[in-house]
Amino acid sequence: MTSASVILELRGIRKDFGALAAVDGIDLAIAEGEFFTIVGPSGSGKTTLLRMLAGMEQPSSGDILLRGRRINDLPANRRPTCMVFQSLALFPHRTVGENIEFSLKIRGVSKVERRQRAHGLMRLLRLPEELYGKNVTKCSGGERQRVALARALAYDPEILFFDEPLSAIDYKLRKTLEKELKDIHRETGKTFVYITHSLEEAMVMSDRIGVMRQGRLVQVGTPNEIYVTPNNKFVSEFIGDVNVFPVEVAGPGRLRSSAIAGEFTAPKLPSGFSKGHLVIRPEYLRFLADPSGAENSLKGRLYNEYALGSRFQYQVRVGDQVFVVEKLRQQAYGGRLDDDVVIGWDARDSILVTD
Amino acid sequence: MLKQKITRRNFMEQSTAMAAAFAAGTAGLTSLAGRAHAAREKELNILCWEGYNSAQVLDPFRSSQAAEVKAESLTNDPTMINRLRAGETSVWDLINVNNAWARKEMWPEKLIQPLDRARFEPYFEKMMPAFKPPYKWATSDDGAELLGMCQRFGPYSFVVNTDKVSRATAEDQGWDLWNDPANDGKYGILESDDWNVFVLCCIAGFDPFKVHSDDEVVKFTETAKRVFKGAKLVGDPATMNQALVSGEIDFHLTGGTYSASPARADGNANIRGITPKKGPMAGGKGGISWIEVTSLVNNPQLSPLATEFLAYVQDPTVAHVVAFAEGTFNPVAQMANPDCFKLFTKDELDSIQWDSLEEEMAASIEYDIVPDYAKLLDIMTAAKREA
Amino acid sequence: MARRGSWAIPGPGPRAALPLVLLLLVGFAAPLLAILDYSFMPPRTFSLTGEPTLENYVTIFQSTSYLSFLWSLALATVTVAVLALTCYPISYGLVRVFGRWATVLTLLFTIPLFVSENVRLYGWVLFFIKNGVLLGALKTYLGIEFDSWLFTSSATVFGMIYVYLPFMLFPMTLGIAMVPNETRDAAFDLGASRWQVFREVELPLSMPGIVIGFLLTFVLAVGAIAEAKVLGGQAIIPVTHDIEIAFTYAQNWPLGAALSVLLMLVVGALVLLVLRRFDLDTILGRR
Repeated sequence: MTSASVILELRGIRKDFGALAAVDGIDLAIAEGEFFTIVGPSGSGKTTLLRMLAGMEQPSSGDILLRGRRINDLPANRRPTCMVFQSLALFPHRTVGENIEFSLKIRGVSKVERRQRAHGLMRLLRLPEELYGKNVTKCSGGERQRVALARALAYDPEILFFDEPLSAIDYKLRKTLEKELKDIHRETGKTFVYITHSLEEAMVMSDRIGVMRQGRLVQVGTPNEIYVTPNNKFVSEFIGDVNVFPVEVAGPGRLRSSAIAGEFTAPKLPSGFSKGHLVIRPEYLRFLADPSGAENSLKGRLYNEYALGSRFQYQVRVGDQVFVVEKLRQQAYGGRLDDDVVIGWDARDSILVTD
Repeated sequence: MLKQKITRRNFMEQSTAMAAAFAAGTAGLTSLAGRAHAAREKELNILCWEGYNSAQVLDPFRSSQAAEVKAESLTNDPTMINRLRAGETSVWDLINVNNAWARKEMWPEKLIQPLDRARFEPYFEKMMPAFKPPYKWATSDDGAELLGMCQRFGPYSFVVNTDKVSRATAEDQGWDLWNDPANDGKYGILESDDWNVFVLCCIAGFDPFKVHSDDEVVKFTETAKRVFKGAKLVGDPATMNQALVSGEIDFHLTGGTYSASPARADGNANIRGITPKKGPMAGGKGGISWIEVTSLVNNPQLSPLATEFLAYVQDPTVAHVVAFAEGTFNPVAQMANPDCFKLFTKDELDSIQWDSLEEEMAASIEYDIVPDYAKLLDIMTAAKREA
Repeated sequence: MARRGSWAIPGPGPRAALPLVLLLLVGFAAPLLAILDYSFMPPRTFSLTGEPTLENYVTIFQSTSYLSFLWSLALATVTVAVLALTCYPISYGLVRVFGRWATVLTLLFTIPLFVSENVRLYGWVLFFIKNGVLLGALKTYLGIEFDSWLFTSSATVFGMIYVYLPFMLFPMTLGIAMVPNETRDAAFDLGASRWQVFREVELPLSMPGIVIGFLLTFVLAVGAIAEAKVLGGQAIIPVTHDIEIAFTYAQNWPLGAALSVLLMLVVGALVLLVLRRFDLDTILGRR
């Protein structure tokens, strides 16, 4: 990324609430037109970070630069950015049209032009035209989401911030809206900075993802990088059902675990690595009829089986450790519960992470 | 307790709705009341001016008779009497109002019933000489019936701060104090509207207690407008005393021992009820006085305790308590009895202006009915509103 | 026949509601009906069953009673206006500083209500009276002597503002606390200035509280009487005082009832007018 394409840059951003650092030193550069998502559990500081970017909070230290210009002291109403709130924060005493046109009215745009812009945005967001004069509280959940987005787009911001706007929506609608949001991102070409606690949601939409934990960014990368090469245990676990167990170096290329008996072949060891965790994705584990040829194998007992639609998920108990194995429906394991099984994996499919 | 006290001090703080609700309630209850009160041996209901409803007076009676005694105090006679007229004769046992009402209105209207002369007339013998039986206001027109018992009384004309206007000047000038434009803004008016009708007549220069000519009504109207316009404030006795003591006003209309005694008891000897030496009433008198008469209500089921209570308050000790019950302090007719008089301290005598009581009463006409009161009150109310 | 049977023994619902219905009829409707009835009775009578007449109303319209009505309405209007201007900033500040706790704090303002209104008003008389707390202190310590402003119409207004403050403050604070912070942030974020946020979002969204505060204080203030009597020294006779005189010294219950009916009509009409203009449901976006 060249510096010319950076639209928003964060340098050592901190936010202290008393002794507590809600945001604990963040450096980040977001590119023009990028869909950047910050993921983290609740309390990780992501909302505080976003509010600082939008101008609703002041950083305790550090700088926020918009196209290289420091905007720390610029209040929200003078920043060329706009936010879609978690609650959507629509104006309940106004119609759909009035909500969308709010920023235009503030700027003194003529009524005719406002109406034109609103209708254009409603078309873009597939909002039926007859909603224009309707009170916003009469709209359905999905319609409100779109009105909130239209209202923000009407402001014509350089960057759009999203504070978990889809968190309170049912699964099916959320999936639809996630894709729509990505389409809108493409159509408008604007920079989107999105926060969510759902990595799954982030993966669907984002160009890049930053994983946040306790006020810090622990990993920044494309969805693929985050998924394939999480750089610590937190990120790897955050992604979803993965098999993680503590390991330490047993010898050259060899690992042993305090949780499971035996030694394993290590993937490529990071330099200076002595102990950490081994991560194996459920889909990389195999049921082995003949363990002799496998790089790594473990004996266990099939404890449970879940049908996940296109896939099956299995729980295999190895000593006290539970392993999760996933297979496509076509490759389903035909055994019965409580069968003795052997599971195995290739060293290159496992990932070593630090804590 | 506190709330009750305040209510009394402030002259009827009831809201309209309350009054109307009460009106509705009582009207509806009237027909039921007779049947509801089957046995009334141990209950007594008293409608009175404040004092008789105080715990000091009632509690000993309650405990000695093991009776349930309710007393409601009001601060004007017409309201009390109209409650009986509206049908509350079956509620109340005793009514305590000023002199003229028993003889001239309640008895002819059969709202009250006579007392046993043999039992109660001897009490009058022990009162001050003016109450010698047959005492006019306690007796029916034909002299046949004893209509009530007397106790509290007092002169009631106006009150001055003697530091500003000397007693002698006030007594000599009398009602003309209110005919002097120089006094505008220096006086208050006690919110005692029935008495204000009387004193406005006096200021206008004619006797209040008669039917008035058209000319007099015109004069009354002018006087009412002028006097209310010149008033610094209108309020209750507590406010008047406060205003006199603080110097907001120099004198106030309608008042006497009844209203001034609390201020005097607080050590303000310069607050004094004044009885004018001359005026437009019979015999050239200028003052007005009141004497309370407590009568038996013509209740179909009168409580036997009613007569017992009348006898109880005649006791010298109780009479002294009545004189100095909470609220206002007043002389009582029983002070003629040495057993009663000895209970009064010098300070108490000072606060009820004992030194001048006899001459003030002598210079006063006794409270009477104003035949055209309703008309004059309406005129005065309008004048007050327009002031 | 069957229908008559079911009528004779109503279902459990109506039966359970019966005591409450009776209580409301007796406690609420009956006094109002009694007042209405009395207002058509001949003057200075004490029966509800006399020959109905319009005489009381004629008397009122021929008298200067309109002055009392005007005073009452004017005093109430001034009180509401001053309270609106003073309470809004207080409420606003309370909500911004204490957030959700602001409404609880506002309840502290109601503590004086536990003391009789008259006692509180007499307290102010002692404070303002000549040689009293204020003027006495000024005279003693600074040697300046002022005339007191007691017993004037402005003292009456002061008393009303003092007495009715909690009734404006509480609904207003509630109204302002009801404005979601994110809505405020959103307007600001969309480029609105502080003033525009106030005008476009905060004011309209807190309107239910404001309107309720207005109505509550107005209706209470029109019914005020003690302030004009105690602090105002009866310099002003509000219509409530006229009603009281009619029911006491004048013993003209029908006239008092007619005045009450007229007052209820005037206030009722004004309240309906306001509620039509500011429909609470519309403001809250429920329609």
